[in-house]
Amino acid sequence: MKDAELAALAQAGDRDAFGELVRRHAAQARRLARAILGDPDEADDAAQDGFLAALRSLGRYDPGRPFGPWLLRIVANAASDRRRRRKVRRAEAISPKMHGAEPGPDTVTDRSSFRQAVLAALEKLPERQRLATVLFDVEGYSHKEISEVLGVPIGTVRSDVFHARRTLRTELDAWKDWRESE
Amino acid sequence: MSDTSPFDHRPDPELGRALEEALSAPDDERFARQVMAAADSAFGADALESWWQELTAWARPGLVAAMLLIAAGAFWMGSQMAQRGNGNGTNALGDPLSAADSEQLGVPMLLAGSEAPSVDAVLAVALEY
Repeated sequence: MKDAELAALAQAGDRDAFGELVRRHAAQARRLARAILGDPDEADDAAQDGFLAALRSLGRYDPGRPFGPWLLRIVANAASDRRRRRKVRRAEAISPKMHGAEPGPDTVTDRSSFRQAVLAALEKLPERQRLATVLFDVEGYSHKEISEVLGVPIGTVRSDVFHARRTLRTELDAWKDWRESE
Repeated sequence: MSDTSPFDHRPDPELGRALEEALSAPDDERFARQVMAAADSAFGADALESWWQELTAWARPGLVAAMLLIAAGAFWMGSQMAQRGNGNGTNALGDPLSAADSEQLGVPMLLAGSEAPSVDAVLAVALEY
């Protein structure tokens, strides 16, 4: 059954249809939220918020358009909201002494796993670039679909993907060189 | 990373795999169950509310329908009792049926007079038909 059909059933109160939509899009939604938030638990909370917000908003979904980008936009908004709230909390809680405690390049290169290196490289990207490259290179969305998710022109998406790739490759190549020299 | 140009309009498989591996979390099925549980608890109250609203919406027409049924039942029982009884009681009450019997009961009788027929006479004709 197509996503649009499931969405119509879910809107009519079919719990199983909504469950199927969640299962189909869980992995993408969790990855996208994690790309924004970093922390896996917080990302799951944000992805869940996104799914619940989507359930509430199913009446506004246009069945003539793909469901994935519509859902991911909601998830991305939920994750960005959490990130903003977290920044506010951190700004309130942080003491002047702790500014110097953030991990520097040395700390990053000391990390042993490639996975951590990728996450660290992602963390250096502006949020929109991060999302653009994850949606393009991981999820396989087109520039046009990504422009709908992010609410920016297609040219901006192309530029974001370009800059994100360049930064990621530079960071990861440096990490590989470092590993090889060890 | 692969030699794919940043300008390339195709996904970079190597970069994509690295990002996917780094970002993917285990057990999507468990996550889906958590979302469903959250949906149940978040929308359980709404579902009850909508059920109650629906019930309320049906209450007024339901009440009217019930009153009509009771009224129809009462008329039917009254006519049955009138037919079975010996007529003394109903005659004492001025039974319109027995009175109408002697007056050639029917619609023409209702329309024959110059004045509007009584309610009893109309009911008697309706029950006859």
